[in-house]
Amino acid sequence: MYDRQTNPPQPAPDSQPFDLLRVPLVGNLLRRRHARTVLQIPLFIVAALMILHGLWGPQLAPKNLATTLTWVHFRGALVLVLLLAGNFFCMACPFMLPRNFARRFVKPRRNWPRALRNKWLSLALFVGVLFAYELFDLWGSPFWTAWLVVAYFAGALAADSFFKHAPFCKFVCPLGQFNFVASTVSPLEVKVRDLNVCEGCRTKDCIRGRREEPESPVVIQRGCELALFQPRKTGNLDCTFCLDCVQACPHDNVGILSRLPAEELLADGMRSGVGILSRRRDLSALAIVFTFGALLNAFGMVSPVYALEGWLASTLHVQQEAPVLGLIFTLFLVAEPVILLGAAGWLTTRWAGRGGGVLQTVVRYSYALIPLGFGVWLAHYGFHFLTGLLTVIPVAQSAAAGVAGWPILGEPAWHFTGLPERAVYPLELGFLGLGLFGSLLLTYRLAEEEPSARRVRVFAVWAVLCVALWASGLWLMSQPMEMRGTFLGN
Amino acid sequence: MHLRGETPDGARRRVTFGRESFLTRGLRLLAAVAFAFALLGVACRLTEPTPDFQVQHDVSPSPPGVGRPATVSLKVIDFLSSKPVSGARIQLEGNMTHAGMTPVFAEAKEAEPGRYRATLEFTMAGDWVVLVHAALPDGRKIERQFDVKGVRAD
Repeated sequence: MYDRQTNPPQPAPDSQPFDLLRVPLVGNLLRRRHARTVLQIPLFIVAALMILHGLWGPQLAPKNLATTLTWVHFRGALVLVLLLAGNFFCMACPFMLPRNFARRFVKPRRNWPRALRNKWLSLALFVGVLFAYELFDLWGSPFWTAWLVVAYFAGALAADSFFKHAPFCKFVCPLGQFNFVASTVSPLEVKVRDLNVCEGCRTKDCIRGRREEPESPVVIQRGCELALFQPRKTGNLDCTFCLDCVQACPHDNVGILSRLPAEELLADGMRSGVGILSRRRDLSALAIVFTFGALLNAFGMVSPVYALEGWLASTLHVQQEAPVLGLIFTLFLVAEPVILLGAAGWLTTRWAGRGGGVLQTVVRYSYALIPLGFGVWLAHYGFHFLTGLLTVIPVAQSAAAGVAGWPILGEPAWHFTGLPERAVYPLELGFLGLGLFGSLLLTYRLAEEEPSARRVRVFAVWAVLCVALWASGLWLMSQPMEMRGTFLGN
Repeated sequence: MHLRGETPDGARRRVTFGRESFLTRGLRLLAAVAFAFALLGVACRLTEPTPDFQVQHDVSPSPPGVGRPATVSLKVIDFLSSKPVSGARIQLEGNMTHAGMTPVFAEAKEAEPGRYRATLEFTMAGDWVVLVHAALPDGRKIERQFDVKGVRAD
């Protein structure tokens, strides 16, 4: 166990971790200067096809590339890659391609406003996307799904054309924030190989960028645009895996190294570009919304949500979905976390005797909920991904036939679907169990920071909360799925 | 607002009328681009073909239940002559409104001239969209769709 006021320990020289950049072929590809662009181009083409098909293709969600790829394949592949590797979707993010192209002509000179240098704006946008997803039935609308993709492109272009560095990724992108939080439980991290090498480094190219000459204003390889100084960077928060630091480091001292998933959430030392976790209420709120939002998003696809909507509508005498949905979001993303986490924090301070106040306790322990929240996202998105894995084939065949005028890729095989639900259900339970295990382990390790007399009580309080959230996730996954495109059904 | 103008000494320079922040200019540009895209999108959605045939449908029970066979009755009518169309081959395809779900298929049999009947078994609660793929006796093909809302879980 290490001192959590500092960063996780560096591995001993004789026990070097796995380094993806040293794997033949894959490592060679990723180390190339334009590796990111090579990965972005295919996704950019796919995104362009999705937009075109979403706007002008068939407006039935299962027949359209925009809805099929976005809500079935992209989300599922995203969480599985985050689970098995790291934040590689941010690495291959297509939204950055037009932005990088525009920056050849537009050199932003302004800094992102100081008041917005936190996660509150992106948190609001994250909730906004979840809300819009339910309100406008984005899962059933190719047209609006295409517009959502366009909005991401426009947002990235606008933010990064006006402001220096990468404010869209760090402070705006809701998807990026999801990836940052989820990647804290990933097994890979962009990390310094040997800190001793950094101690001797004078140029700090990983953050300043590599220049023609040390004092030259001309940067030939940019450094980290998200203000993560490699020697003082801890974990995956705010890291887009862009590998600019890998390219910029003159000592070839940055790799993609293996690590213990979620261990970074225990560290409470100063992190470059992030600060101290226990003092970041915005990050804590993001972790909480990430966890409770996972349950809410899954709740939106099962039968009981319609009963609740119907009851609320009749009680409040309203027929519009927005106020009812707004109330449900307020209940699940504000009232429920405040009550549950407030009660846990209060019990931790009063019953278990932890010092520091309720809010500080909640902020510190809220990060332990991330694995559980990720487990729920995994179970939900994994379900759609695995049960609809092959549906992209007939949709692509149909889209190609629509463009070419004849079945150039063959007649659409609409019977292609994916794994049966009964085969996926055990996996969902496994993901949920994995999430609970991770959260309990983190809670236990955090409780170890407390004096021995209080540990058991502190752990008991947060363990009960974790089990309660896990049980609600379990209940959700066992409910019959129901997708409606209309408020209150018929 | 900026205009190109000339000062009394004859030099050309940019004249600024009022202050307009870069953010305002950016937002204005963004709004213009979004408006153009919206117009394009709406225009494309307005182009619907004129129907030559009318397909009337009825689903029983309504709403259907999951796992219980639902009878879909169809009546195909020539829109111009108002006569029922007999001898068509009709395939039904039921899709959830969410992508990635297993579709259901059925072939409709002609019960009486111009009237067809099929049995669909919905596999999930919620809103479904049923596609009607019909091949007419003269070789023409028609595609129609209708909603089956609120399929019950019980």
